[in-house]
Amino acid sequence: MLCDRCQKRDAKILYTEIINGVKKEQHLCEECATDYTSFQMEKPLLNSDLTLGDLLSTLLDNYTVVDKKQSGEANSTVVCSNCGTSYEEFIQKGRFGCSKCYNSFSSHLGKTFKGIQGAQFHTGKRPKGYITAGSERTMKDFTEIEKLSLKLQEAIEKEEFEEAARLRDFIKQMKKEETNNA
Amino acid sequence: MLKWYEQMVPDSDVVISSRIRLARNLDNYPFSSKITEEQATALVNEVKGVAASLTEQEKRKFYTCNISTLSDIDKTAMVERHIVSPLLAEKEQTTGLILSEDETISIMINEEDHVRIQAIVGGLNLEQAYQEADHVDDLAYHKLHFAYDEKYGYLTACPTNAGTGMRASCMVFLPALSSARMIQKLIEEVGKYGVTVRGIYGEGTKSLGNIYQISNQKTMGISENEIIENLKRIVSQVVKQERKRREYMLSVGADEIQDQVYRSYGVLKYARQISSDDAMTLLSQLKFGADCGLIEFDREFNIHKLMMGVQPGSLQWTLGKNVGSVTRDQSRAEYIRKELPAIINNL
Repeated sequence: MLCDRCQKRDAKILYTEIINGVKKEQHLCEECATDYTSFQMEKPLLNSDLTLGDLLSTLLDNYTVVDKKQSGEANSTVVCSNCGTSYEEFIQKGRFGCSKCYNSFSSHLGKTFKGIQGAQFHTGKRPKGYITAGSERTMKDFTEIEKLSLKLQEAIEKEEFEEAARLRDFIKQMKKEETNNA
Repeated sequence: MLKWYEQMVPDSDVVISSRIRLARNLDNYPFSSKITEEQATALVNEVKGVAASLTEQEKRKFYTCNISTLSDIDKTAMVERHIVSPLLAEKEQTTGLILSEDETISIMINEEDHVRIQAIVGGLNLEQAYQEADHVDDLAYHKLHFAYDEKYGYLTACPTNAGTGMRASCMVFLPALSSARMIQKLIEEVGKYGVTVRGIYGEGTKSLGNIYQISNQKTMGISENEIIENLKRIVSQVVKQERKRREYMLSVGADEIQDQVYRSYGVLKYARQISSDDAMTLLSQLKFGADCGLIEFDREFNIHKLMMGVQPGSLQWTLGKNVGSVTRDQSRAEYIRKELPAIINNL
């Protein structure tokens, strides 16, 4: 069927207009529909070809491969008990399913964050009135190295570079000992 | 109360606006990829409840609405005015919005994260934008339990936002750097400092009228103040580069540029039909001319406000109806004629 308006191109859109109760139907091609109705041929604002999600999942995937090689176990077995998101699903979509996922996948997240963010710990704002004891993960759950890394970031933030250098060397030493023991 | 794009601010020759966005989630709902329609409705209602206490504690009014029930025109107009993100406007699930009367603060509900607090101010003023957003964040935390972890900070749906959950960005006008084809180089250059350059409406959008967004990439292991300081330093550099380039362009071809600027004014003032892309290009040239002092108007006026007004959504929103692109182009020309000030002919 040809477009009712230009009579040249194929009609692809059925445009129904109701003005003061009078219904008028037109078969239009995309070009005429764009020119004479509010129809938009393409969404000008969102370019869906470019999604960060795809890029991210490739990035995340790289870290998983390393994980698998090192630990020798499949990551797909890790599932968040709260929302049912599997680690594999997280890698694929690049999105957590709920706030508890962070805890469920915590053993894999260090590398993920290091890769994406270049850091593993938050050093910014803490909510006013936030009570540490009631939270899921408190300071006591951290390993000694994690605690020191936090202190290191704090020192850098406060521009206490001597203290930072001391902590950095100390962490290096501890990591060395750890690998030697293992 | 003047809106941010109606005020005259310093540095607005290059920096149109500064924006801070904080991503927050509630502990008691699944994130957006897992949330059901029922939970989404409950979430939107719970967060919207904050509006009343915000109005009470702040000196301005806060309005609420459900974005998903609005018409396409309303949604597009809101995206064009940077009140909501393209993602929120496109979402089919129940989504909500809390908006301050001066359009400085907008809180998107059920976007990629449950709550996205956004503050926009004119010019290069990231500190003020952060103060506004931070204050609203504190007030909201009293009512809503945001997911926070000592190690990972604010927990977000996407790992690229975790930690501070903060994105700071500046909307910049770079006609001289664009015409010298230096944008690609700029993108590569600032990329080294963890900063990205994107199109006018953020992620995945194209540039219009030589307007770009410069924003931080990292959100973890860096404090809010560091993010702001870092971005401010880079944006200031960009401002310097753009101004230098403008000076150079004027030194080698002031007559041609002035001719271009006046021609643009002529078309804008007398055209009977104009597409939004054409209007943006011409307005961009006019802004360039006005910023460089090549053309003077008989009254103060913010070209960026006009740039938002000529967008398809905003235009139809002003008209109050859906119209086809032919009528739209005619109405756009009429709107510009009405808004454009007269020029002072002393040059």
